[in-house]
Amino acid sequence: MSDQRIDDTDVKLLPDDGGRRRRKLIWAGLAALAVLFFATLPFYYDVHNGQFGVFFFNVFVYVIVAQGWNLVGGYTGQISLGQNAFFGVGAYTMALLWFNDVTKTGYYFDPVLMILAGVVPFILAVLVGVPLLSRLRGDYFAFGTLGMGMIVTVLFINGGMFTGGAEGRMLVPKMPEGAVFDLRTHYWVAFLVAVLATLVVYFMTTSRIGLALRAIREDEVSAASHGVNVLKYKVFAFAVGAFMAGVAGSIYGYYLLQVTPSNVLTSNWLFLPILMVVLGGTGTIMGPWLGAFLIYLISWYGDSYFAGYHPIISGVVIIAVMLFLPSGLMGLGKKMPGFGNRGRGSG
Amino acid sequence: MGSLVQILVNGILLGSMYGIAAIGLSLIFGTMRIIFLAQGTMIVFFAYLTYWSFEKAGIDPYLSLFTVIPLAFVVGLGLFYLLFRKAAALEDKNVSLLLAVGLMYLIDNLILKIWGATPRGVNLSYSGAVLVIGDIRVPWLRFALLGLALASALVVYLFLKRTRVGTAVRAASEDMEATTLQGINSVWVCAISFAIGIALAGVAGVGMATVYSFDYQFGFIFAIKALVALALGGIGNVFGALAGGLLLGIIENLAAYYIGIAWIEVASYGVFMLVLIFLPQGLFGRRGLVKKV
Repeated sequence: MSDQRIDDTDVKLLPDDGGRRRRKLIWAGLAALAVLFFATLPFYYDVHNGQFGVFFFNVFVYVIVAQGWNLVGGYTGQISLGQNAFFGVGAYTMALLWFNDVTKTGYYFDPVLMILAGVVPFILAVLVGVPLLSRLRGDYFAFGTLGMGMIVTVLFINGGMFTGGAEGRMLVPKMPEGAVFDLRTHYWVAFLVAVLATLVVYFMTTSRIGLALRAIREDEVSAASHGVNVLKYKVFAFAVGAFMAGVAGSIYGYYLLQVTPSNVLTSNWLFLPILMVVLGGTGTIMGPWLGAFLIYLISWYGDSYFAGYHPIISGVVIIAVMLFLPSGLMGLGKKMPGFGNRGRGSG
Repeated sequence: MGSLVQILVNGILLGSMYGIAAIGLSLIFGTMRIIFLAQGTMIVFFAYLTYWSFEKAGIDPYLSLFTVIPLAFVVGLGLFYLLFRKAAALEDKNVSLLLAVGLMYLIDNLILKIWGATPRGVNLSYSGAVLVIGDIRVPWLRFALLGLALASALVVYLFLKRTRVGTAVRAASEDMEATTLQGINSVWVCAISFAIGIALAGVAGVGMATVYSFDYQFGFIFAIKALVALALGGIGNVFGALAGGLLLGIIENLAAYYIGIAWIEVASYGVFMLVLIFLPQGLFGRRGLVKKV
């Protein structure tokens, strides 16, 4: 009899492992269904001519940038304000290499260029991140990355013959013969990269790296005293985030086919991804997806129904979200089992 | 030689605008720990108000200081209690940052809807009056800007040092938690420093209206310039922030003269990065503050 009672309390003390595994399975199933739906959408919906093709393409690009910021700002707690610089550098890397025929590879959706478009921002992030993250804490990192973004923008505007200045680089004449501008390609590539970026963030944050990143977010000093190499992990998270933004920039560059400072380096690519992450839920794996869908939906319909007032609406939306949902949508469902169990809603 | 002195003088006069804005940023940053990115937008907004009252009612910009400053103070209090009160208490600074960004989008585009996209400026009957010393020429109005900057720095300094609320603001910038434990109302302290920050934006707006032409997009860049000035001078020091602004003005004018107009921004942001990396406490800031942040 008494044994039985001890057993009961033991069960209550232990984490409900079976339930958690079940929830995980449900989530994995839902995610697989969503992936299947979006991956096969072009087969029964005309992505190239229908407006939802462009819509989802943009959402996916934003998801990639937002996942990158989520890793730095959400999981590691370092507020980076340089995401637009990495996005722009990625787009320009692709465009200039293509324009000048440097690598002599395929060039239209060329994986070599797309990876290079991630590597260059990665290196830039390490170069900027090491001094900024080692000597300073907290807010100064935000200042520094903001300054970096401004410098990069001005450098590209003043780049003269090399970057094409304010007009940027026109890529349409460089299209290889026989290549067709079909949004289906853009859609699939952006979706694939968005899923990959999500997987990278998922596996990074559920591994030992993620443990270190979250320890840094909660208390840097304590993390350091427990043997976490704080600088290494912070720079790594920052650089991986930059890589993602750079790849997203190259994909967007293939869509625009003209890369200019005013379309790839605007502060939209800085603030909207942050807003998406915070609306979805900082430090959650699905938050950026939810946030990107909702924010882009609002700006999409805002544009068509209230033409000209759309930036005002964005402002109101940002303020309203921050006033009423400061911990994001995933934070809303925190009380419900299975929702938002990755990290805290408000980082 | 004469031209170098002229550049320095022009730089100081340009920098006094950055200085006023930087003092406001410094106050807000000190208590609320946020970069108030909408500061520049608020400045442009008050510049438009000044311009409007001049165009519609013929009120001299320097007279309108007496209406704009109290108005800006009230606007600041209102904004704080409407938007930032809850966010300021949160550990998560993203919320305040994004609130400031949302405010910036909103006001920028309201300005665009109300006043249009053409750059505006106030043309006063005495705009052309110039002070000549040797071969250096300084428009009186720009000279007045420096006076405005010095006066605002002095007022803020006296407020922080001589009043009870000012002491509370200083204490809160040192350590918010300990301040609350002393029985000081942290919300009120944040509200006051925020409102003074916005009132300074009002001062800078009037100054901007008298000398420069401005449009709705000017705010973001100006806020970042103020941030550069703040980092240069060092956080937690009123005169440091002002000096940072003056220094930034000088750097920009030197860069424009010796490298070229197009490279002004590169020079000022480059200095910004160098300061952040090698001199994080700024030129006149206290060391302790950066370590603690």
